Amino acid sequence: MSAISMRGVSYAYPDAERAALTGADLEIEPGELLLVVGTSGSGKSTLLRCANGLVPHASGGRFAGDVVVFGRSTRSHHPRELADVVGFVAQDPEAQFVVDHVERDLAFVLENLGYAPDAMRRRVEETLDALGIAHLRDRDPASLSGGEQQRCVIAGALAAAPSALVLDEPTSQLDPQGADDVLGALTRLNADLGTTVLLAEHRLERAAPLADRVVIVDGGRVGTPGAPGALLAGYPGAPSVTRLGRVLGWDPPPLTVRDARAWAAREPVDLPDPPERPHHAPGEVLLSALDLRVDLGGRPVLRDVAVEIRRGDVVALLGRNGSGKTTLLRVLAGLLAPAAGSVTTVDGARAAYVPQNPNSLLFEPTVRREVEQTLRLLGTRDHGDVDRWLDALGLHDLAARHPRSLSGGERQRIAIAAVAVGGAPVLLLDEPTRGMDSASRRALDRAVTQHAESGGAVVLATHDVELAARCATRAIVLGDGDVVAEGNARQVLAGSLFAPQVLRVLPPFLTVEEVERELTRP
Amino acid sequence: MTSVVQARAGNIETHAPQARATVATWHAGVWLVWALAAAASVQLASSPVYVALLVAIAALAVSAHARPGPYARAFPVLVSVGVLFAVVRTVLTVATTHGLGTVLFTTPHVVLPEVLGGFTVGGSVELPVMLQSLAEGFTIVGVMAVFGAFNGVVTHSELVQSTPRAFYEVGLVVVVALAFVPSTLAAIGDVREADRARTGGRVVRRGRLLRHTVPVLELGMERAVTLAESMDARGFARAGASPRDRAAGWWGVASLLALGGAFVALVGQSRTPAAVLGLAGTLGLAAAVAIASSGRQRARYRPTRMRRADWTVAGIALIAPVGLALCSIVGDGSLAWYASPLRWPALHVVPALALLPLLAPVVARRRGLA
Repeated sequence: MSAISMRGVSYAYPDAERAALTGADLEIEPGELLLVVGTSGSGKSTLLRCANGLVPHASGGRFAGDVVVFGRSTRSHHPRELADVVGFVAQDPEAQFVVDHVERDLAFVLENLGYAPDAMRRRVEETLDALGIAHLRDRDPASLSGGEQQRCVIAGALAAAPSALVLDEPTSQLDPQGADDVLGALTRLNADLGTTVLLAEHRLERAAPLADRVVIVDGGRVGTPGAPGALLAGYPGAPSVTRLGRVLGWDPPPLTVRDARAWAAREPVDLPDPPERPHHAPGEVLLSALDLRVDLGGRPVLRDVAVEIRRGDVVALLGRNGSGKTTLLRVLAGLLAPAAGSVTTVDGARAAYVPQNPNSLLFEPTVRREVEQTLRLLGTRDHGDVDRWLDALGLHDLAARHPRSLSGGERQRIAIAAVAVGGAPVLLLDEPTRGMDSASRRALDRAVTQHAESGGAVVLATHDVELAARCATRAIVLGDGDVVAEGNARQVLAGSLFAPQVLRVLPPFLTVEEVERELTRP
Repeated sequence: MTSVVQARAGNIETHAPQARATVATWHAGVWLVWALAAAASVQLASSPVYVALLVAIAALAVSAHARPGPYARAFPVLVSVGVLFAVVRTVLTVATTHGLGTVLFTTPHVVLPEVLGGFTVGGSVELPVMLQSLAEGFTIVGVMAVFGAFNGVVTHSELVQSTPRAFYEVGLVVVVALAFVPSTLAAIGDVREADRARTGGRVVRRGRLLRHTVPVLELGMERAVTLAESMDARGFARAGASPRDRAAGWWGVASLLALGGAFVALVGQSRTPAAVLGLAGTLGLAAAVAIASSGRQRARYRPTRMRRADWTVAGIALIAPVGLALCSIVGDGSLAWYASPLRWPALHVVPALALLPLLAPVVARRRGLA
C-alpha cells in the first residue's frame, strides 16, 4: 500500500480563475524521501497541502479527486484527524509555535491526541533526541536562530511519531548552517525511523542528493516521479554540478560535488582559463566607509570596517549569520549611525537598501503602483524608469497583479524594483535570493549586472555563493565584525568554504555559463 | 488512541511526568491573585501616597521576578502608556472644567455650540481641577503598573495550563494573541525602516500611516493563518467539546457577565444590586469550574499545580484588599484624597501596613528552587 496516494486531484483556490492543480496522480511509497521541485506558483505548496487535508479543509475552494493517507481519505478526515499519521511543516518557522516553551510546544500534539502522561514523556524525550534539540528544551522559541526554530517545528510535527512528514521549503528562510542542520535531521529520520518524507525545495544543491525520487510540478501539472539525476538533468533549477554534467555530456549527470569530481578525474576537461570578468576597477568611487564601528546591545558588531564601492562594482558580502553583514548594509544606507567612523558618498550619490523581508515594504494593490509609489514619495514626475525596472526584473507580466498574492521570490523582485527605481546609484540588497526559484534568480542576475554595467554599483549581502559566483566582481568576507578577506571574487571564493560548486570541480571556473562559453568558443 | 500508546509502551517501566519549574518563581495562579489583589487595593486606596506605595511594590516584583523574553519590557511600556493616558486625560479635564477654585493662569478659549454640549474649551486653568485630575490619573498609572508587573513576571503558558478544561481553548487563544504583540512590535520596526530605505533615507510624512499600517496588518494576518494551520495539523480541537464542557462554558460566561454587572453597579454606587450580582457571579464561576473539573481530564504534559506554599502566599496577598476594605468601612479618611479643600494627602499607619501583605510573593522565594 502506498503511504500517500493521490488520484486525479484537481483543485482551485476560492476566487481563483486558474486551477492550482490539475489531474494530479502521485503514489508515495512508505519510507521514501520524495523531493518536489517546481517554480514559484507551480502548485508545489498546494500539492503538499493536499497530503494532510489542509487543502481543501483549511483553504476552501473547488476540490476533485481522492487523496488517501495511510488508508484514510482526506475527504472525510480533517487535518486534525490525520495528525497522528502526517506531520506538516510550513515555510516560516517563527509563526508555527503555539507555546512559548520548546518542550511544551513539542507536547502540544500529544496533548491533543490524548496520550497518557508517561507515554507523552517518553515521546518528548525521544523527539528531542531525534532532532538533536535536547539542549534547547527550556528555551523560548522566539530566542532561537532560524535553523534551531525550524528543527523545533519539525520536532513539534514529529512528536506523535507520524509515519509521514510533509515539509514545504523548510530551509528557504535559513542560512546554510541552519539548512544543513535541518536537512541532516530529515535524512536521519528517514534513514533510522523509516519516516516517509515529502519535501519541497528551491535550492537543490543540498536537497537533491538526499532524495530517493524527484517529482517536477509545472503549471499545476504533476509529472512522473523519477531518479533525481535523470529527472533533474533537464531542469533549469538543477544544482550547478548537474547542469555542468549535462553541458560536459556526463551521463548520468552528477548530483554532488563528489560525483562530479569523480567524473572530472575520469574524463579530464581541458579548457583554457575563462577571461577575467569585465573589471571596472578604475571606476569612480561612489561610496566609501572608513573605520566603521558599531555596537549593538553592548556587543561589537562591526570593528574598524573599511569599504569602498566604485562604479561598476558588484560586491558580494559573505559571512555566517551574525557576522555583521546586515548591520554593514544598514550603516552604508544611513539607517544606522555608526559608533565611530564615517560613510562618505560622492556628489550626493545615494545608497538604497532592500531589506531581507520584502513584505515589510509592499502595500499597494498592484505591482506597478508599488514601484511608482517610490517616485511619488520622492516627488519625481518622470515615471520612465518604472518600465525599465519592471523589465529588468522580469516583472512586466505581473504588473497588474497584487504584490501580496505573488510568491516570495516575486515579492523580493518587486521590493528591489520599488527601491531601485528611486535612482540611487548604489543598491544594497540584503539576502536577495531568499525563497527565489531559478527563474527569479536569473531575472535578479540580469538586473544586477545591468545596473552595474550602466554605471551603478550593487552590494549583495548573501549566503548564496552561487549568486556571488554568477554576479560578483569583488567579494568581502566578514567574520565576527571584521573583514576577513577582500578582493577579486574569483580569488576570494577559490579554496574557501564559500566556493561555489563549479569552482570546486573545475577551478578556476565559477559558473556553468563560463564553462559553456569556453566550450562553444571556436 | 490511548490503547495504542499503552501497547507501544509495552512492559517498559515508565514514569508519569512531574511538574518541573524552570524558573524560580511562584505559580502563575499566585501572580494572578496578587495582581487582582493589588488592582483592588489601588481602587480601595486611591490616595496618591498609597498608589505610590503600590507602584513601588509592583516595581519591586518586576526587579525580583522578571522573566527573560519578550515580556520583560511589559512593565515600563505599560507604565508609560498609563502616564500618557493620565496626562491626556488631565489636559482634557483642565481645558473643559471651570469655576471650581484658584486660577493658575488663563488661556484663550472657545465656547462650543449648544449642539456639541456648550462646553468652554480653554480659558481658566484651575489648581484644584488639575490636582484632582492628576490624582485620578495616577490611579490609572497604578493599575497599569500592576498589570505590567503581572505580565513581566508570569509564565503565560503556565497560566493557560492552569485554566480549567472548559476555558482551555479560550485561554490558548488569549496566549496566542499575546504572543502576537512582540512580533507585531518587531514588524512595526521593520516596516518603518523599509519605508525610510525606500526613499534613500528621506522621510516622507504624507500617507505614512497607510504605508506603515498595511504591511504590519498583512504580516499579522499571514502569521495568524500559518499558526492556525499549524495548530490544525497538530490535532488541535480533535476531541471536540463534550456537553459538559459546553455547559461549563456557558455557566462561565453568564457568571462573568454577572460580575461585570456587579462592577457597573458598584461604580453607580448602588450597593445592594452590586452585592447580589457579585455573589451570584462568584458562585456561578465556582460552579463552572466544578462542572468543568468533574469531567474527563484533558491530557496535560507536566501539569503544574499550586502547591501549599503557593496557596499560602496567594492567601497572604489577599489580606491587603480585605484590610483596606475594613479601613474603608471603619471610615479611614486617608484612603481617598480630594483636591478641594486643598491639603496634603495623609499617610495613616494602618492602611500602609495593610499594603504590606502584597510584598509576600515579592520577597519570599519558593523553597527548593534555585
